[in-house]
Amino acid sequence: MSSETNKILTTDGIPLEESLKKAERKNKIKAFLLVCPLLLFLIITYVFPIGEMFTRSIDDKMITNMLPNTFKSMESWDGQDMPEESVFENFYIDFKKLVENKEHGKLAQRLNKEKNGFNTILKKLFRQIQRNKIDESGSFKEQITSLHKRFNNVEYWRAIKRTAPPYTMAKYLKGMDLFIDENGGIAQVEEDRRIHRILWLRTLEIAFFVTVFCFLMGYPIAHLLATLPMKYSNLLMICVLLPFWTSLLVRTASWMILLQQQGIVNDFFVMIGLVSDDNRPEMMYNKVGTYVAMTQILLPFMVLPLYSVMKTISPSLMRAGKSLGGTPFVAFWKVYFPLTIPGIGAGCLLVFILAIGYYITPALVGGASGTLISNQIAYHMKTTLDWSFASAMGLMLLTGVLVVYWIYNKLVGVDNIKLG
Amino acid sequence: MKKLTKLFLALSFALSITTSAFAVTVASWGGAYTESQKLGYGDPTAAKLGIEINWVDYSGGLSEIKAQKEAGAITWDIIDVFAFDTINGCDEGIFVEFDFDKDFPAAPDGTPASKDFFAPMPSKCAVGNILYSWNYAYNKNNVKGTPKTIKDFFNTKKFPGKRAIYKSALTNLEIALAADGIKPGKGGEKIYKALETEKGVQRAMDKIKALCTDPQGGCVFWSAGAQPPELLMSGEVVMATGWNGRFFNAIVGEGAPLVQVWDGQGLDYEYFALVKGGPNEADAKKALAMMTNTEMLAGSAKYIAYAPYRISSLDVIKKNEPWYKDGKTEMMPAMPTAPDNTKNYFLVDPFFWADNGTELGEKWEAMKAGL
Repeated sequence: MSSETNKILTTDGIPLEESLKKAERKNKIKAFLLVCPLLLFLIITYVFPIGEMFTRSIDDKMITNMLPNTFKSMESWDGQDMPEESVFENFYIDFKKLVENKEHGKLAQRLNKEKNGFNTILKKLFRQIQRNKIDESGSFKEQITSLHKRFNNVEYWRAIKRTAPPYTMAKYLKGMDLFIDENGGIAQVEEDRRIHRILWLRTLEIAFFVTVFCFLMGYPIAHLLATLPMKYSNLLMICVLLPFWTSLLVRTASWMILLQQQGIVNDFFVMIGLVSDDNRPEMMYNKVGTYVAMTQILLPFMVLPLYSVMKTISPSLMRAGKSLGGTPFVAFWKVYFPLTIPGIGAGCLLVFILAIGYYITPALVGGASGTLISNQIAYHMKTTLDWSFASAMGLMLLTGVLVVYWIYNKLVGVDNIKLG
Repeated sequence: MKKLTKLFLALSFALSITTSAFAVTVASWGGAYTESQKLGYGDPTAAKLGIEINWVDYSGGLSEIKAQKEAGAITWDIIDVFAFDTINGCDEGIFVEFDFDKDFPAAPDGTPASKDFFAPMPSKCAVGNILYSWNYAYNKNNVKGTPKTIKDFFNTKKFPGKRAIYKSALTNLEIALAADGIKPGKGGEKIYKALETEKGVQRAMDKIKALCTDPQGGCVFWSAGAQPPELLMSGEVVMATGWNGRFFNAIVGEGAPLVQVWDGQGLDYEYFALVKGGPNEADAKKALAMMTNTEMLAGSAKYIAYAPYRISSLDVIKKNEPWYKDGKTEMMPAMPTAPDNTKNYFLVDPFFWADNGTELGEKWEAMKAGL
């Protein structure tokens, strides 16, 4: 029996299966065209910039092309003692060419990022070349090393050698206080410069505790909002949202006025005799200040998803739990709480992700502990112009957020997020 | 990828270009400072040259102009920048190089421009605008006695109480060494010589650490310029480093009981840089030359207590005291470059910070983390 005879045909004589496919294809194209604007928007605003950030963070071709001869002659150098004459000669040739093309400044910038101190010594060399002070028949090693003591420091030549590969993971390593040493192994930076790991941990710690505090404070508020009669809950809702409509800086500044040692809260404590005047507690310019200000600022992001979930939970469920013999607590824990988990998940993720990128508030109220990883990213974006390092740290932060999301997915399940 | 970036960025900048095609656009810091620039020399220059000068606010750094340049659509003609930004921007080829005596007019007495500047330019791409001071102030209602020197700032036995210092290493390391007994020397060169060595950096960090961990002392780190006077007036700290213009405003404008101390002050600068390939480069160059002449620069000191970069501008102020806009406050004693205020000072060294800023910043943060 052949399959031909079994095919069901439409009235036009086309097999039904094909006709159906055709109609479905049309629908698919229509559906695709509908989401096209959104897709395009996502590509332009997310995929493309993130891709750009990634290439920026690993691309190091500029310097590879600037010092081709130097890198070639450095291949045979083991990085232990000072390099040989040929390295100096080739470095001079490369550098002179850059001076002719007026690109020496870019090289100085790039190398200063690799090791601080290059700016000055390369400018010195530049001035010598400009005034024709370098005798091209003499020893380049002698002449260059006599310009500045840093040229005589093997560390600086090692730094040049490190920049040879056109693509590098060095910026990611730097973000974790590591670097590639002269043997190609991974080593730690000097102890008094290990700052990034401290900042990562501090950022995570602050984001974590702010999330916990937001949850502890937001849950009862959301519950109250969801169970009060409409006319009260609306008023309360406005109270929750009001700070949301006030500028971030204004809110931060108000906390400073309230919490500082000579501030209103401390004045009140002294007035009621809780603390003595010369022993006022410090609630500002330390982590306490950061927690208080950030919790207040981010609280609405916790309350709103919780509220929208709690609103949908029927009060009869709790009554049923109690009538089946549970104490109020058991009824709450076994019936009500599990139903609010989608809201908790959404609120916690929102608050955590927002908190991890905060930097103005902590810088203002956090005192010595007010520097977070985002401050470092802003610093490299704006001041040092080391955009590749800033990109690398930005991507590391993004990865961190994705990992949190992944853990959350494993523990609770993404389907269990409810934003509203 | 690169081409695509350019396209997107160019598109986004295209609109803003068309609106400002015939005006000279100056990017500056905003607030009272830009107000002083606009009233002091911006508007008079615009009127004289018959061109329009637009002032836009930005928050410092070269990231925005670099992005504009990479997109191939530059919208700013002149930028008000820090010294190390002019160095970086010059190196990256963002700014126009000047021939100072040719591009800028001489002083009224004939002194060529390059000799009339208070300090030499950090790069060929910068022309001086103002000098401001990192000095310190105290609240006379909260301090017993009169702090007079930079050593007093660190002397918690004589003047107990918390201090407010800037959040980054910049100028803190310098004043620490000055207070620790290093004579600044000419323009502070001895301080920077000491900071070139590991030992010197350690010595400065230890001095700050001792102040911050002292139970009689303690530190508050400020990050916004408005904070120091505020912290002093609320009594949160007894002494605070800060920018002299802010202290002046608090004292003269609001009648705050603050006193400024000039001993061991750090003089820092603001510059104008001309953007290479800006939308209106020719007019911008003309405007810049006029805005930075003797008369015009003196004009800005009518509105703010920052010193004009040209020495000859001070004569204009001296002759016409009281110079401040209220018509009764003398401006010379408030000028960071006035002879009485520069008995013991250092010039913030942009080369040192351009070279070592990142590394010292990391060490500074590590030190702060251990407080």
